Amino acid sequence: MMRFITVALGLLIITPLFAAENIVNVYTWSGVIPDSAIRQFETETGIKVNFSTYDSNEVMYAKLKADKNPSYDVIEPSSYYIDRMRRQDMLAKFNKAELPNFKNINTSFLNQSYDPKSEYSIPFIWGITGIFVNKEYRDPASFQRWADLWNKKYADQIMLLDDSREVFSMALRTLGYSVNDENPEHIKQAYLKLKELLPNIKIFNSAPISILVDEDANVGMVWNGDVFRAKKENPHVDFIFPKDGFVVWVDNFAIPKNAPHAANAHKFLNFMMRADVAKAVAIDNSFPTANLAAQKLLPADVRDSKTVYPSPDVMRRGEFQTDISDDALSLYEKYWERLKMGG
Amino acid sequence: MKAHDNSLKYFSLGTIWLWLIVFALLPFALVTLASFASHDDTHLLTTPATLLNYFQLNNAIYLKIFKQSFYIASTCTVICLLLGYPFAYTIARMQSRYKSLLMLLIIIPFWTSSLIRTYSMITMLKPKGIINSILLWTGIIDKPLPLLFSDTSVMIGLVYNLLPFMVLPLLTNIERLDNRLIDAARDLGANRFTTFRRIILPLTMPGILSGSILVFLPAMTIFYIPDLLGGSKSILLGNLIQNQFLIAQNWPLGSAISVVFTLILAVMLLVYWHSMGNKERDLL
Repeated sequence: MMRFITVALGLLIITPLFAAENIVNVYTWSGVIPDSAIRQFETETGIKVNFSTYDSNEVMYAKLKADKNPSYDVIEPSSYYIDRMRRQDMLAKFNKAELPNFKNINTSFLNQSYDPKSEYSIPFIWGITGIFVNKEYRDPASFQRWADLWNKKYADQIMLLDDSREVFSMALRTLGYSVNDENPEHIKQAYLKLKELLPNIKIFNSAPISILVDEDANVGMVWNGDVFRAKKENPHVDFIFPKDGFVVWVDNFAIPKNAPHAANAHKFLNFMMRADVAKAVAIDNSFPTANLAAQKLLPADVRDSKTVYPSPDVMRRGEFQTDISDDALSLYEKYWERLKMGG
Repeated sequence: MKAHDNSLKYFSLGTIWLWLIVFALLPFALVTLASFASHDDTHLLTTPATLLNYFQLNNAIYLKIFKQSFYIASTCTVICLLLGYPFAYTIARMQSRYKSLLMLLIIIPFWTSSLIRTYSMITMLKPKGIINSILLWTGIIDKPLPLLFSDTSVMIGLVYNLLPFMVLPLLTNIERLDNRLIDAARDLGANRFTTFRRIILPLTMPGILSGSILVFLPAMTIFYIPDLLGGSKSILLGNLIQNQFLIAQNWPLGSAISVVFTLILAVMLLVYWHSMGNKERDLL
């Protein structure tokens, strides 16, 4: 008996040694990369992908922060978290020589303030945060602005994204401030404004496609790509670009500092930037792609969709999300926590 | 042969001790240490040591959440008891050959992860879910009931997940009831109600108490049920701790909440322990 246990324990210890094999650990937003793309990468390169997902930047950040030697090789933070993690020395510089497909990226997303030389981040998908309405139950004409969600008629009916920056951006726009406002007084006003909205909120959720399709909520805050995708199964769902302004966000690939399989991470990223792969991914997740070569290959129904790629006229109302100071961010988090606890 | 028995005994006891030390005592010691740490925007934990995290707990919002969790967990325990007691009593006293099958049916849900069962509850409760579809089809209601993402759905999820923890201790307890005591009570003229109140209830009190503790404690901290069924807005103590770690990134405060919560539970267990006689302690 003892001998069996010794052998068993011995095997447990030895297995990880053999495990130092050809793998890459990928950790991205949920719903962005389809399994088919992962499998295609595995077949083409023989590198095994350990794939996991998150639905908030904060959770991803906390996991990486907790461990100086990260267990992830590829992550996909939103631009303002790229800035934060870059400043905190949590990201590795790319070796551009190993990323020939970088040329496919839409140059209008490169060299932005969050990564001035585009050394740490590859813009991958972007999107717009707006309002969704189910036409069967609600008149889209009465939801042209964020402010319309505050109407007392909608008690316990509204869905909001489970994302502090997004929810505060909505309140800041309603008050006429920038989505990147750092003024503590303005942030406080936004918090008080959101507190008034609490009785109307039915659910916080950041992976809402089934909620839109099954009509668990019929009005609320949503990312445009999710509406495009939900519309295929429930044609009554409509996306609205709020008249009082909206957030434009960009999610970027990055490699954490001290990533255990950095070479494979480069191979994975170069694969994801290939035009045909980026196109397949964009069709699957329905979000606007930052890959210009892929955008040109998209089928007409996606490329011409006003929900996915709005006209420049509409885009003028949008505002890019940028990083805010640590002080302002912790103020957001403090108020967010209070809101989630009922004010 | 004797020596072999002993080594097996030490091995199994040693494994349990090792397990408890590595996976219960050590993590708790780490959490206690963390609760005295400071934090800033670039470090999760840093020096100097401080008591500030504990002072921060004296805050109206945290007290409100604690009261609310306490209320929800108590309600859940009472519902589990009201549902579980007659259920356990019926199964324990039945002479049918299906008895072991019925007991197996209580265990079977444990073969599936509680998280997955909670996801399946979403499918049951949603506006286009199974319950609403049946009610609409039979014409009992004419528009879907808003079951999901409410306090009701959180309570349904809690009771559904925790009911077996009430039933199982009650079952073992009621099975050991001595029939002769009940017969004697009836012979001496007690009616059904008096027999229940004076004989059965006091004798099954240890089962009721251990079942209640097994339901109450997880009900206060099982954070994924309010997250999934309450739409991430019903907050239990467990969600508060989870938020501190994952969203607010204030590990010291999250640790302090955990430590205080553990202490409160420990006190409750001690009070319960002392309130029992020696004999009842043995029954546990």
